[in-house]
Amino acid sequence: MSERIQLGEYPRVRRIDEKHPPELRFSQKAVEELERIKQHYPTKRAAMLPALWIAQREYGGYLPPEALMEVAYRLGTSYAVVQGVATFYTMYNKRPVGRVMLEVCTNLTCSICGGYEILRYLEQKLGIKVGETTPDGQFTLMEVECLNDCGNAPVMQVGNRYFGNLTPEKIDALIEQLKQSDEHTVVQLADTIVQCHLSESERQDIERALEKAQSAREAEQDGRDG
Amino acid sequence: MAEQELVTIEINGIELQVPKGEMIIESAKRIGVDIPFFCYHPRLGKEQAANCRMCLVEAGTKQPDGSVRMMPKPQTSCTLPASQGMVIFTDTVAIQKARRGILEFLLINHPLDCPICDRGGECPLQNNTLFYGPAVSRFVEEKRHLPKAFPISDYVVLDRERCIHCARCTRFSQEISGDAQLDFLKRGADTMVSTFYDTEFTSRFSGNTIELCPVGALTSRVYRFRARPWDMKSQKSICTRCSNGCNIWLDYRPNRLVRVLGRENEAVNEEWTCDKGKFGHEYVNSDRRLLSPLIRKDGRFVTASWVEAYQLIASRIRQAVEQHGAKSVGAIGGAHLSNEEAYLLQKLMRVAVGTNNIDHRLERIQLPLADNPLLKRLGVPYAQNAIADIEKAKSVFILGSELVDEQPIVFLRARKAWYRRGAKVLIAYPEVTETELRFEEPLVLRYREGTEATLVNGLLHLLLASGKAVTDRLPSEEFQALQESVRSYTPQQVAEVTGISEQHLQEAIEWLGEGTVILCGNKVRNHPDHAGLVHLLVNLTILTGNAARDNGGLNILLPEVNSHGAADMGVLPDGLPGHATIGDAEARRRIERMWEVGLPWEPGLNTHAMLEAAARGQMQVLYIVGEDVAQKYHDPELAQRALENAGFVVVQDLFLTETAQYADVVLPAASVAEKEGTFTNTEGRVQRFWKAFNSPSPEVKPDLNIFAELAVYLGKPIPVFSAEQVMEEIAKVVPAYASCCYEVLPAEGCRVVQNEARLRLTPAAEGAAVL
Amino acid sequence: MAELKVLFKDIDVPGIQTLEVYEQHGGYSALRKALGMTRQQVIDEVKASGLRGRGGAGFPAWIKWNGIPKDESQPHYVQCNADEGEPGTFKDRELMMRHPHQLIEGIIIAGYATLSKVGYIYIRGEYTEPARVMRRAIDEAYRAGYLGKNILGSGVDFDLYIHMGAGSYECGEESAMMSSIMGERGQPRLKFPHAPLPTIAGLWNCPTLINNVETLSCVPAIIRNGGAWYASMGTEKSTGTKIFSVSGHVNKPGNYEVEMGTPLMELLELAGGVKGKLKAVIPGGSSVPILPAEKCDVNLDYESLQAAGTMLGSGGFMVLNDTVCIVRFMRRTAAFYAHESCGKCTPCREGTRWMVKIFDRILAGGGRMEDIDLLLDICDQIDGRSYCALGDAAAWPIRASIKHYRHEYEYFIKHGHSMVEAQRYSAAV
Ligand SMILES: Cc1cc2nc3c(=O)[nH]c(=O)nc-3n(C[C@H](O)[C@H](O)[C@H](O)COP(=O)(O)O)c2cc1C
Ligand code: SF4
Ligand code: FES
Repeated sequence: MSERIQLGEYPRVRRIDEKHPPELRFSQKAVEELERIKQHYPTKRAAMLPALWIAQREYGGYLPPEALMEVAYRLGTSYAVVQGVATFYTMYNKRPVGRVMLEVCTNLTCSICGGYEILRYLEQKLGIKVGETTPDGQFTLMEVECLNDCGNAPVMQVGNRYFGNLTPEKIDALIEQLKQSDEHTVVQLADTIVQCHLSESERQDIERALEKAQSAREAEQDGRDG
Repeated sequence: MAEQELVTIEINGIELQVPKGEMIIESAKRIGVDIPFFCYHPRLGKEQAANCRMCLVEAGTKQPDGSVRMMPKPQTSCTLPASQGMVIFTDTVAIQKARRGILEFLLINHPLDCPICDRGGECPLQNNTLFYGPAVSRFVEEKRHLPKAFPISDYVVLDRERCIHCARCTRFSQEISGDAQLDFLKRGADTMVSTFYDTEFTSRFSGNTIELCPVGALTSRVYRFRARPWDMKSQKSICTRCSNGCNIWLDYRPNRLVRVLGRENEAVNEEWTCDKGKFGHEYVNSDRRLLSPLIRKDGRFVTASWVEAYQLIASRIRQAVEQHGAKSVGAIGGAHLSNEEAYLLQKLMRVAVGTNNIDHRLERIQLPLADNPLLKRLGVPYAQNAIADIEKAKSVFILGSELVDEQPIVFLRARKAWYRRGAKVLIAYPEVTETELRFEEPLVLRYREGTEATLVNGLLHLLLASGKAVTDRLPSEEFQALQESVRSYTPQQVAEVTGISEQHLQEAIEWLGEGTVILCGNKVRNHPDHAGLVHLLVNLTILTGNAARDNGGLNILLPEVNSHGAADMGVLPDGLPGHATIGDAEARRRIERMWEVGLPWEPGLNTHAMLEAAARGQMQVLYIVGEDVAQKYHDPELAQRALENAGFVVVQDLFLTETAQYADVVLPAASVAEKEGTFTNTEGRVQRFWKAFNSPSPEVKPDLNIFAELAVYLGKPIPVFSAEQVMEEIAKVVPAYASCCYEVLPAEGCRVVQNEARLRLTPAAEGAAVL
Repeated sequence: MAELKVLFKDIDVPGIQTLEVYEQHGGYSALRKALGMTRQQVIDEVKASGLRGRGGAGFPAWIKWNGIPKDESQPHYVQCNADEGEPGTFKDRELMMRHPHQLIEGIIIAGYATLSKVGYIYIRGEYTEPARVMRRAIDEAYRAGYLGKNILGSGVDFDLYIHMGAGSYECGEESAMMSSIMGERGQPRLKFPHAPLPTIAGLWNCPTLINNVETLSCVPAIIRNGGAWYASMGTEKSTGTKIFSVSGHVNKPGNYEVEMGTPLMELLELAGGVKGKLKAVIPGGSSVPILPAEKCDVNLDYESLQAAGTMLGSGGFMVLNDTVCIVRFMRRTAAFYAHESCGKCTPCREGTRWMVKIFDRILAGGGRMEDIDLLLDICDQIDGRSYCALGDAAAWPIRASIKHYRHEYEYFIKHGHSMVEAQRYSAAV
């Protein structure tokens, strides 16, 4: 309890150079999307949540420090502020997660309708504890608060979709099916959310912009070749 | 200003009138009612406040029929604005219970390490618990465990276990300093304060978060375990690390400084300090301080008595004057001296030695006094605006300055102007500055190094073209000349030279106008054609209608703690006290009458000329006061040659500096904590500082005494009994300082550059303005 | 004994999610009608309907609408609360998934009435399925000219944006939602009288109308049929219909729309009756006090439920049979609030976690009799002193559970295990 720690034991803390932009890894599509979304709000900063969703997609399903730095840079806020926001919301993953994230609700209705049994069953089946990822990086198992589909309790969210009235049999079939597919449910979820922010005309706009950039690149390539 | 509307409220049955909208916690103070709190701070915004819930009160409103309708829930008085008929109870049973409850909550996770906590003794949590808290905790589970006491910077140690989540530090870093390097992570009971992934807390104002923290979660790495609040004494002082003159407390134990705290002065630093100020006074404790005079004998310094030292110096000066004339003696320094000392130094040189070779400036530009365009045309030597008025600006134009570094507290005002009042901020600098990162979308004018004058010319061109220039303050010939001179600076042309886009230039014009405060830093101060550039800036100031405004005008920020004062005191080769030029016979005669001596009437050498003369072997005695010329001079090579070739070098300092290595005699001087006096800050505000403790050795003397005693040995005694008495003399010699006698000097200091000086200014009065 | 369908009137119509079918069933006629009325007439109609907020607090909708300044010196916003996070509630989900245009029409009308040009619909991050339906519907509405510039040639502009949450119950609280939309941590903001109402200074300090999905979904029917028609349903103070999301131990869980004032037992029957023996009902989402079976003889409206010591809340109607151990159930409730507390204010941040720790100790067999009163006291210390209503919501259910089921707590503490033998679920801890 007492603080016997000697200051000398700690290495000098790492310093970040604010004056230089961090490494930027957003794809051009992501940049275009963020530009459009920023237009929805009177301030840049308001695009924080969508920007973090974009980052979660772009950085493969979770937000490493670099992703937060990129978001901060693109929105003109400080790194710490972005970290504050990202760690506030549970759906932003701060650590790498598996390709498939199984989020089992154990909240009130689900808890009395077998949610915990489903969770235990999945733990056994996957051989991991809640919050862990299988060694092959395929599945991450999470316990979540109410998904608000209590009419179908017990419920589980996998990426974009809810699965209700779960039984061990249903779970077996679902896991089998998920193993077969190769979709990254976490990235997919992030992408869906990003797309939900964008209107039809904005989506078309982005496509056009990307095509134009693509053809410009090709023309340049041709020019260089020729 | 509109009259403040008053409302009648009632607190604990006592009726009082308070300004409408005042927070009840403040109103309660008016009648001595104590409401405990943690998160409230009057300088921090309401936005993220009211989270500790300690300041709950019961509130209601009087109904027309005289009955009182109480709100069902207790309310936080720190955010409750007073309104007509409000009825408040601060000490009901329910409130007492609420406070106990809040404290119990705060304590369940707070470690019981008060005996070894730096905050112990001045800890709001400790105090409030004593007065309002529960006697025992009903919490039997294990407390939260988090990493304890790890440094997040060279200055700050963070102990997350102790944090009570009041958000004062995060609010400070987001609202005041603007770096937003502290924020909360996670949520609920897992919430914790952090920098981004525990990287270094590089804010230049981190020390303030230590003072704001109501527990020992953020503590000072420097002060750590040094002392307990109850065995320290405090003395009022002024920070000497830059020219802003922040008010500070020196907390000390016998003859040892243990820490520096911010002291409130609404006009200067509010209550903040920068880290240079808070952590930069350690030198006074150094065991490398000079403890007695040293005289070089056979190439080595040997300890000497003051009598020996004075005799040697006096004889060498007398010898030099007799053989080579008084012009062969010169003094450099003064920007670090108090006004009283600076005054005495120049008096010593002028009266006892008989030379005008005296200068306090080490910057590249050492203009003759008469060439200062600001003084000549706007009537103020350096700063038109008071620091406190900067926050009222409509736009702030920061030119050639990394403001957070140069003038941290001026920066805070500029930021306040933007953050609280929505002023536009324009920043012109050749490189990315930290300053611009602290504003949201400032207009950044990134010019090529050295093109400042083109930029300003371009702005003048556009301003004239825009038709919104205020021209009636310039005589028409001057105006025509100006028009002519900026004609060729078309946006295209300027964009090409400076590298700033035309669009940005145009945009800049939109924001320049009445209420534009121009803050100029080192790039202006050190500009090769400083006078020319400042002339242009004066034009800009006049044309934007800011020639005589409080919330707009031109300000050249000064480098050292008393640069302003030294100039006021006449530590200039061509300037007498009060910015009177040597050539101004009438002014000279006035001073001669007062001093009852004849003064040398030829201007002396400035620093650069003195060094050059010394390098040529033409300086017989060089007296260097509190400046490490060898290190700090912009041409160190020249400085070294000068020191080598000077006939005799006297260095008066706290340390055996590099310059002192060249000295023949070294005189140990007292630090700011060991003497008293006044400083004049960058806005021309004279402020007092007091002696806190004794010097490390009785042989160490305040500069004031050294000058006075040396005068005796030179056979021209200048009787000095105290700094106060010197100030009384200054007050007579320099009219602007008339209100600076210690008896009458207000607590917040006195701005000697009065506004009337500017208001008096008419085109015809050019050159007439004297400080 | 039947459902009374207003919001759900057309919900079973195949393809009602599409603009075409919606229009065939009278869709957007209310908008046309509203655009022909003055703004004040629209507000008056809402006033006449007696519509109260369905998000939980039951605040009269028209007062908010009318409180929006009637000048356009600042931008105005509409903020639709689709964060539905209250455990036990899933009505907004269904309203969005199955009847998106009804909501959009309601939002546009609200925007018209309050002089707003921009609306945000804040959908919780988990709700991607409803969000996609909404996205499609909004795109359709844009294409048909119901959204965007110059709606139906009326000169009225309105843009509707979706803003997705990212996992936080607290963001359902209206001011926390504002923070979240503005890109901040989802923490609540000062309320009246400490700060102006959101209707005066909401999003970006501009006037903002905040209503729940169900509230706004009621608007088209009200405009189409008149406020008086709506007010003719329900009770005097609780007008119209209300959707209850029935879940838990019933045979046919799901959303049921009933007239306000319908007896609680009727709703239970609608939902196929209780599985097993009824032990208790939580009528309005996890935040409201529990109602033991013997007190279930009550009508479903704001006033009656309040008189019975509970609340209508959001209509998350959870049914518990006698297999449920109240202590465990309340531990789960407490854990939810501890997990979702935003951490801003002391009572909620520290109190909710402390309660979980006490519950855990009791469940682990280490309970002390004084813990029951300690829990009650902690509830007192949170209730009314927290920054937002989440603290209150964390305290009420626990307090009520101790009031009604103190014997279960005592049993658990004395014996170290639950009084309810047949545990249908394994330990929560
Ligand atoms: C902790 C907390 C969570 C809330 N969550 C929701 C929610 O998920 N959905 C909702 O519509 N209202 C929620 N509310 C209520 C809202 O604050 C607000 O009253 C409502 O959006 C207003 O809309 P209405 O007047 O249409 O009901 C919540 C309130 C609190 C205190
Ligand atoms: S701003 Fe200057 S005077 Fe103020 S604390 Fe910092 S260094 Fe000292
Ligand atoms: S001082 Fe008022 S809530 Fe903290």
